[in-house]
Amino acid sequence: MNPHPSSCSNGRSIRTRFARRFLRALKKIGSKGSSSRPSPRDISWRCRRVKIAADASMASAVGPRRVWSRTMLNMLRSRSHACLHASRLGNSRRPGADRHAVGKRKRLVLKRKLPNRLGLNQVNQLRRLVPGGEAMDLDILLDETAHYIKCLATQVKVMRSIVDYCSA
Amino acid sequence: MKPIGGIEVRSMNYSHKNVDIGVQAYQLGEEFQMLMAGPPPTGNSFTALLELPANQAMELLHSPGAADSPTELPLKRHHNMSHRSARNHPHDCAPAFPSNAALNEGATKYSGISTAAAFGGGGQDSPESSSSANAMKVKSEPMDSGSSPNSLPHTSNPTVASKNEKHTKRKEREKGKATNKKNKTAANDNSKEGERLPYVHVRARRGQATNSHSLAERARREKINARMKLLQELVPGCSKISGTALVLDEIINHVHSLQRKVEFLSMRLAAVNPRIDFNLDSLFTAGNGSVLESNFPSMVMPLMWPDIQMLGNEQECQQQWHLGSVNQPVWTRQEGHQNLIISENSLLSYDSPANSVSLHSSQQKMEI
Repeated sequence: MNPHPSSCSNGRSIRTRFARRFLRALKKIGSKGSSSRPSPRDISWRCRRVKIAADASMASAVGPRRVWSRTMLNMLRSRSHACLHASRLGNSRRPGADRHAVGKRKRLVLKRKLPNRLGLNQVNQLRRLVPGGEAMDLDILLDETAHYIKCLATQVKVMRSIVDYCSA
Repeated sequence: MKPIGGIEVRSMNYSHKNVDIGVQAYQLGEEFQMLMAGPPPTGNSFTALLELPANQAMELLHSPGAADSPTELPLKRHHNMSHRSARNHPHDCAPAFPSNAALNEGATKYSGISTAAAFGGGGQDSPESSSSANAMKVKSEPMDSGSSPNSLPHTSNPTVASKNEKHTKRKEREKGKATNKKNKTAANDNSKEGERLPYVHVRARRGQATNSHSLAERARREKINARMKLLQELVPGCSKISGTALVLDEIINHVHSLQRKVEFLSMRLAAVNPRIDFNLDSLFTAGNGSVLESNFPSMVMPLMWPDIQMLGNEQECQQQWHLGSVNQPVWTRQEGHQNLIISENSLLSYDSPANSVSLHSSQQKMEI
């Protein structure tokens, strides 16, 4: 999957760092919401927390040298308070539907940054998928996309192995 | 822009006047390599500009002792020759400098030199720089002055030169191709320059535009194509597809599916989490072990090891670790699937029934 040996070692270290951060965050989440009977609101809150933890740990494992991780960290930082307030108030959105589940956080940013999304070709779709991709040149966008795909694959692997471990 | 013009015209002036010295210096070609490390003979107000490839400049900078006498002017390039000699004989150039018509002619004639000089002068600050004709000359070729890769801004101070070197190397990496072509075209205008620049690599093929904008555009297109190829290798099942739009579609689908997988896995983790939070310490270590495939740094393992022994579920931990390793090929095989539904179903199929039921319930709750 990784054609370059240098990025291979890089991916390994990113994987290590992501796993450490994510497990730490999971531990914190698990210790925080330790009620006996989880309500659906509790579960949705927890799901959001886990997802935010996954994103944050991935972005912080990559570090600020990539545009997408920088953007994601900024997004999470600016959004964490609002998210916590929203979860406390209980007006949770519905994350179940297909298209809405995909890029919730990205679309939130998009509504702020890019109000008219009418010219939809592939590049614009890609811009919306990659965090921070709205203001990139095409070559930088493709570069970031490649790195983002690698990191997402790493994230999926790690999370899946954790899930397998938990449900085993 | 104006200080650039000052330096440039000065060098022009020199090369115009001392062509014979230039030829002689060019014949001395081999001796030059060590020259630049030599101490500057004149003051620092007049800065010498050199056009060198970065490796050669590095070589020169790293051998400071091997300096020939600077009056011989053994410089390999014509640019170097002109600037160096201008530095060595500032008194020659200084009187003729301001607003000389023949000088301006010479400047336009030696445009190939002037570009490198102009770029190198960008980093310098030479105080005497007030000829309007020079500024106009610089304006006429702004792209050259901006993107000349080989020119190293050498001041009289070698340490400053070495500091500038990194910057110049980066610039060379970015714009190397375009500027080499540019240098070649500039050199072709003057046959003498063409003879004296045998090292310039020509990358522009026949019929291709050598305008700076089209050069930059071509470089950008090549970069985009390279990135696209890399992405094609990265996305599974994408290497056989030709056509940019289809490849982009595949990439978008892949990113979509990966993000969905992350979402789904976080949902599963959220559903699973309350069940196992008492067990999370052992999860931490064992998860690290299984996730990282025993490549975890050893400084963390002794930290976590007593937790397991304290909890007394080491057996369980080991067992679950084995189960995780058994399950591992399954999900690596599933990675190739683009469809999330398939992987969901197969993931649920080997789950324990209680967990899958809880997961289903949580998903339903999510959708409600």
